[in-house]
Amino acid sequence: MSFLIRTVSHSAEGREIVRTRRVEGERLTVGRDPACEIHLTDLAVALRHVTVERDPGRLRVAVEPGLSVELNGRKASVGTLELATGGDIVLGGHTLRFMPTAAGSDEIAVAVERTGEGEAKLDKSAERLFSLASVLPGKRGLAWLLALLVLAIGLAWPIKAYYDRRERAETFAKFHADEIWSSGSLSSAHAGLKGNCTACHVEPFEAVRDTACKTCHTKVHDHSNPYRLARARPDLGRWRRIELAFKEKFDIPPGRCVECHTEHEGPQAMPATAQRFCADCHGDLKSKLPDTKLPNAGDFGRSHPSFSPVVIAGWSGDRPQLQRLSLAARPREDSGLKFPHDLHLSGTGGVAQMARRLGGPYGFGQKLECKDCHDPTPDGARFQPVDMEQDCAMCHDLAFDRSGGTTRTLRHGEPAQVVAELLDFYRGRGAARPAVLAPAARRRPGDAPDLRNRIRFERGPGSADRAIRSIFSPGGACFDCHRVESPPDGGGSLNFRIRPVAFPIRYLHKGWFDHRPHATQSCSSCHSAERSGAASDLLIPDVTSCRTCHGGEGSSKPVPSSCAMCHDYHMDAGAPSMLIRQKVKGKRSDRRVAEARR
Amino acid sequence: MATRSIPRTDLGASHEGFLRHRRFLWLKVALILSLLALLGYALIDVQPRPNGGSAYGYALGTVAVLLILWLTLLGVRKRAMTRGRWSLKAWTSAHVYLGLSLVVVATLHTGFQFGWNVHTFAYALMILVIASGVYGIVAYARLPRQLGASRSDMTRPQMIDALVKLDRQLATAAQPLGHEEARIVQSSLDENAFGGGLWRRLSGRHSRCRTARALAEARRRLAVATGDRAQALEAVAALLERKAAALARLRGHLRIKALLEIWLYVHVPITFALLAALAAHIVSVFFYW
Repeated sequence: MSFLIRTVSHSAEGREIVRTRRVEGERLTVGRDPACEIHLTDLAVALRHVTVERDPGRLRVAVEPGLSVELNGRKASVGTLELATGGDIVLGGHTLRFMPTAAGSDEIAVAVERTGEGEAKLDKSAERLFSLASVLPGKRGLAWLLALLVLAIGLAWPIKAYYDRRERAETFAKFHADEIWSSGSLSSAHAGLKGNCTACHVEPFEAVRDTACKTCHTKVHDHSNPYRLARARPDLGRWRRIELAFKEKFDIPPGRCVECHTEHEGPQAMPATAQRFCADCHGDLKSKLPDTKLPNAGDFGRSHPSFSPVVIAGWSGDRPQLQRLSLAARPREDSGLKFPHDLHLSGTGGVAQMARRLGGPYGFGQKLECKDCHDPTPDGARFQPVDMEQDCAMCHDLAFDRSGGTTRTLRHGEPAQVVAELLDFYRGRGAARPAVLAPAARRRPGDAPDLRNRIRFERGPGSADRAIRSIFSPGGACFDCHRVESPPDGGGSLNFRIRPVAFPIRYLHKGWFDHRPHATQSCSSCHSAERSGAASDLLIPDVTSCRTCHGGEGSSKPVPSSCAMCHDYHMDAGAPSMLIRQKVKGKRSDRRVAEARR
Repeated sequence: MATRSIPRTDLGASHEGFLRHRRFLWLKVALILSLLALLGYALIDVQPRPNGGSAYGYALGTVAVLLILWLTLLGVRKRAMTRGRWSLKAWTSAHVYLGLSLVVVATLHTGFQFGWNVHTFAYALMILVIASGVYGIVAYARLPRQLGASRSDMTRPQMIDALVKLDRQLATAAQPLGHEEARIVQSSLDENAFGGGLWRRLSGRHSRCRTARALAEARRRLAVATGDRAQALEAVAALLERKAAALARLRGHLRIKALLEIWLYVHVPITFALLAALAAHIVSVFFYW
């Protein structure tokens, strides 16, 4: 009985070296102990790792307790090997291969081979091991990978999204890859267009056109005739010309909406237009457009023309003729009313006395104030036209008779009714002649020469004509405030007519003025009503008055005012967008005025 | 009397490093470029706020992209070394300083408008490339000296050789040890000195070093061992100690080498990612003009 042990090793060149020896006996011990039949200098092998013992027809394999081997590819601590088929035992980095042996054979051949990792793991010549290349992927591969990845995500994907949008009108709520191209949030006004790139960017490689804007903005009017606008432009500097040449080259029409209304600049409102933007053309408009009706205008503090309010310059029949007239020409207004402001605002005299007497119920003080007659419009920006019944009648009442507890009043605004009323009154119907109205009644010294007393006094046969004529004549109730037209049929006719009265509600149509922000100021600081003796005095303050507080854009005045504070580029009906935004943001300049005054 | 001064030849001049090349010529050029860009930015009033889409923005963007393309060409240029005015050194000097001026030019091009989009992405990549380049300059200025010192007069093959020899001695010395102890030694032998990935290379921290653990375990067992076993364990522990020292030296060396090389693994691949991002940036801007 013997084992033929063939130890297989490899030379540096890979040549196989086989050493053969014979071990007599029935048992074979394998381990790191030099006393073992098969001595393996493998630290993964125990000193006495496994014992192989011959049994008839097979080999019994017994592993040291607590250890194991791989027996024919299976982990085992005990087992058998059929001699007829042979088999493998793997322990540590070594394999024992038992060759198939004929049943009667005495000798069992075993090949011992190191199959695990080789001893010399480190190759001395491997300079590469020291380099990072041994632990990182190659730079070139990495570069290609990253570049392709970026191109795919940053370019191909969004372009695909663009064509997807064109083919299918998808909901905007869904994310589209082209949104990663957006260089910034849209303005707050256009926040609703977020993610809807193709609303403005219609064609690829075509700069945004005004047609895209006009699909929604159908009512914005041009600042002016585009040809005149083009002619009014200041001379192009060299840079502007270069810029224009570029634009022409790349088919970008000049003067697009987006040149001013820039987008993707963050969720902000459009900033107020800078003064320079307006002054570039308007500062010297006359030289560019000799036929323009507009005077040159630049900095508000230095070169703003006089205001040109719309005033009633005259009448065409009963229609007022409105006309824009420069305040520089000291225009007068023809409202059709007679009204001395100075008399009414005076602190002494009859009006003030009456104000004191009526006092409380009407909110009068020691004298009349502007607010006692002028009521603001609901928005507070302007004032309503004066209304006789509301604003004058508390003093100028038209009562002429008291019937029981009721005061009879002449009807204001209807002269024919007034005539009829008085005729009726004097005709004397039935018992309508109270004792107080006896002819004996006469004016008492100290009584106000009011309408009632006059009527009373003049009462008598044929006196109706006289009374009617007197109220339409100088000193009469109608005549004092109105322009009276004598009866056209002359002679004895009582067909008196009153000229109509009209007040513009807004004087400055091309600029915006709001009374509310000016509430900190007294009325008289701008309107010199206290010195006005005639209703035809136009009490609109001129630019010099405004300049007390307002200066140009860069001014040191309490309220630096660029053009945009009163004027809008596209619209002039409502409040300029700059003011609306200031109000929204709560940034008002009143405080600065108040502080400056202090 | 003959002068002893050495004639200033091209070779003599080449002792000057690429940073000081021609008395900082390219630093001056880069500074002038940056100042001009800043000046333009300060003087040109772009409404409503500065942005890359204004005329000046386009100008800065064009300058920046041309610079980037030229800077990338260093990769081609460096493969052919020449001397003289357009020497590789001059080219490298310009690469460094013009690359730095790109921070100014490109940042002004953004108009300080950043967001989560492809444009800012390209900018971020560019900054990453420049930052890695700056790191590279610092690393090249400081680390080579440390790299030499870390080898302690050994060549790299010698360092490997020392480890291989120690391993072999360990394998022999551990033969008398029992299975458990042999396995501990084996775990040290199985450890790949160059293993452990990028982080361990850069940090030099090998907290789970198997040799260190084997050494600790061997010492623990040595304290209670007697006789032959104690002798064998002592030999193994001494060898493990030497191996640990050799490993520390090798790893220190590897760390410095990794620190010296790592920036190129950012600088080069990210440059190509940047070129792709630039393409996306430019095409997208004109696609949605």
